[in-house]
Amino acid sequence: MINKELFENILYKVEKPARYIGNEQNIIIKDITKDTVRFAFAFPDVYEVGMSHLGMHILYNLLNSKENIYCERVFTPWTDMEEEMRKNNLPLFALESKDYIKDFDLIGFTLQYEMSYTNIINMIDLAGIPILSKERKKSDPFVLAGGPCAYNPEPLAGIVDFFVIGEGEEVTLEVIEQYKKWRKSQGDRKDFLEMIANIEGIYVPELYNVDYKEDGTIKAFSPIDTKYPEKIKKRIIKNLDEAFYPEKIIVPFIETVHDRVMLEIFRGCTRGCRFCQAGVIYRPVRERSTDKLIEYARKLIEATGHEEISLSSLSTSDYSQILDLVLKLIEEYKDKKVGLSLPSLRLDSFPLEVIEEIQKVRKTGLTFAPEAGTQRLRDVINKGITEEDLFKTTEEAFGAGWSSVKLYFMIGLPTETLDDVIGIKNLAYEVKDIFFRIPREERKGNLKVTVSTSCFVPKPFTPFQWYPQDSIETFNEKIGLLKKNIRDNKVTYNHHDSRLSYLEAVLARGDRRIAQVLVKAWEKGCKFDGWTDKFNYEKWLKAFEETGIDPDFYASRERSYEEILPWDFIDVGVSKKYLINENEKAKKGELTQDCRQGCTGCGVNNSFTGGVC
Amino acid sequence: MKMRAKFSKKEDLIYISHLDLMRLFHRAFRRAEIPVKYSEGFNPHPQLSLATALALGVSSDGEYMDLELESNMEPEEFKQRMNMILPNGIKILKAVPSYEKSSLVSLIRWSNYIVKFNTVDKMTIEEITNLINDFLNKKELILTKEKKKGKKVTVNQQNVRERINELFPLSVENNTVILKTTLMTGSVGNIKPNEVVDLLKEYVNIKIEEDSLRLHRLDLFIEKDGAISLPI
Repeated sequence: MINKELFENILYKVEKPARYIGNEQNIIIKDITKDTVRFAFAFPDVYEVGMSHLGMHILYNLLNSKENIYCERVFTPWTDMEEEMRKNNLPLFALESKDYIKDFDLIGFTLQYEMSYTNIINMIDLAGIPILSKERKKSDPFVLAGGPCAYNPEPLAGIVDFFVIGEGEEVTLEVIEQYKKWRKSQGDRKDFLEMIANIEGIYVPELYNVDYKEDGTIKAFSPIDTKYPEKIKKRIIKNLDEAFYPEKIIVPFIETVHDRVMLEIFRGCTRGCRFCQAGVIYRPVRERSTDKLIEYARKLIEATGHEEISLSSLSTSDYSQILDLVLKLIEEYKDKKVGLSLPSLRLDSFPLEVIEEIQKVRKTGLTFAPEAGTQRLRDVINKGITEEDLFKTTEEAFGAGWSSVKLYFMIGLPTETLDDVIGIKNLAYEVKDIFFRIPREERKGNLKVTVSTSCFVPKPFTPFQWYPQDSIETFNEKIGLLKKNIRDNKVTYNHHDSRLSYLEAVLARGDRRIAQVLVKAWEKGCKFDGWTDKFNYEKWLKAFEETGIDPDFYASRERSYEEILPWDFIDVGVSKKYLINENEKAKKGELTQDCRQGCTGCGVNNSFTGGVC
Repeated sequence: MKMRAKFSKKEDLIYISHLDLMRLFHRAFRRAEIPVKYSEGFNPHPQLSLATALALGVSSDGEYMDLELESNMEPEEFKQRMNMILPNGIKILKAVPSYEKSSLVSLIRWSNYIVKFNTVDKMTIEEITNLINDFLNKKELILTKEKKKGKKVTVNQQNVRERINELFPLSVENNTVILKTTLMTGSVGNIKPNEVVDLLKEYVNIKIEEDSLRLHRLDLFIEKDGAISLPI
């Protein structure tokens, strides 16, 4: 355990010391016995980001509900804290017990975004654990990883000992059961990895072998022994309504990104937007019942005192009982001054009166994500939102007193032309005109339209997974075009750093050869790459150069349908045939309906749900 | 009704800021089911005011709040319900109904502190006492403050001697010095204990180990019609 005096002295020196103190409301403190399996839930970003992540709160409380499992939290120390820790030889510790995580049994990282990978290496190193699997000894903990980015685990192969593919609630417990057996058996590390290799959803990279062709593409990917599965099937919770949900969640002392009660209303999405990875990997759609959600809300507000409840899902308005749920929550909480927030809400399908009702408690801005500037391109990506929908909703919203609108777009989508890019500007200007068409005396507030563009990153398991990403130059050209054309004091334009998106594309579709680049980049000091002020593109380029790996091969190369993709061995339930078909339809601008209106044949109902969705 | 309460902020909770503390109280009121009065408007928040903003890292046994309630509540019940759910480190020490019109913030005039630091060289209590006497005998102690407004830096210099009411050593052991001081606090005139330590370094050349300064507030005082008293 940490030296208290040293720790205190360090806390006086660092920014936001409360990131490291633990002891928040609703943390779990347990006695540790020889039978306890100690699990560190590691989030590879700073406390305020990690604490906003619902999955952590679910797994934390689930694991701790079991006897003999003690799950604690660990986040990436900010650079000032890291400096003090390294200077004082203080290894990475868990927030609950302040014990060093190198003495834990398992360290589980959650992979929420690719640009956190260097933080993972940094945390392992800061813990005093060898950063490569093969160098870890019996006394070292096992390093596992899960979360959305684990659907292409290969870039972290060799660093992470094993991956959990899919939803973690059940499989994590199964792994821990095996761990208990292994610990009694006195076996070596390899024995444990072999024990879990056949658990559905577990991928152990060192038990698989990759051969490459001369052109650098994959020739063959197979297990080193036939006793290991050839395909790794993702795990899902079949009946979400019966699944565990926490009744208490930790209340941070300091302000976090999302500091509120989060109610996960459903998993999956039926929309079928072709750029969206989440829309594929989280299939099929599974809902929690309104009654249970209201019960969770009640318990969580009681346990936390939070002033806001947020409904969490990929597309809030698609919840089958959304109106009922929202009205019930408003009814219950309006006098208690507990606000309701509905992120990922598609306003085209939601009565404005209800949104107004929500706004009576707490006001937020309006956000739309048309994603593309023209109808043609929106059809390509299967974003079933029309200009009319958008204009009608904004008109109503302005009439009801809103005046601040955010519009989110992507640039670099497949088939995009400069006309599509200018379409972004046109759309924003049209929204502005709608506002000023309201008679002056009826206008409320001061109009503010914010246009944000991100750079499209093709992701595994999407219909666009074969697609070459725009080059940095092309991205910048398009950004420049918008900068030049959006010249209005009511319309603000923001854009992402194209270099960051380029690297994200490399890591997102990388294979195991990328691991050495990650290590090299980390050695050069890369960390917190997702943070604009910490991101150092030149160091990354050097890391590629020194490892002899061409980033363009991963980001800017068009793949053929025949090519073996690094993530092909993972079975997400949605067939490759379906993705190919969707890509072909995209090229022709053909739409695919929302699968609630009729099955579109993605395949997930064959392998995961026994025929129904 | 208006409730006035005294509370302490210690242990790990010294690492949370004034705003964090406000948020912590807002949530604590909801959990303890205190009938708090909320402000009007789009972002309703409890009508809570804290006497002063305690700096991050400073512990205290004498913090005060005024809180507007929708309905009457026994102060003792308020105290008990709050202490049931407040985290270790924050504790309601006392609560009374308040009929005061003026805000707590406007009434605060003084606070006293325990100041602890390590000197670079070993010193005796006599040496420290002499240095402090020299310090207090100065007619002028000029505190220089820089204010940044965009790119403009304005320098403000003030004689703060009058804002230091008492300052004396409680103990000096090895090189650890513990002082007690009473300082002007609030809108009429203000000086922070760390500023006094900076002045000690500057005017009587006490050499202090870097990062060794620890501060603890003992209590806050109000002044009414020339008489100094505790807020409760």
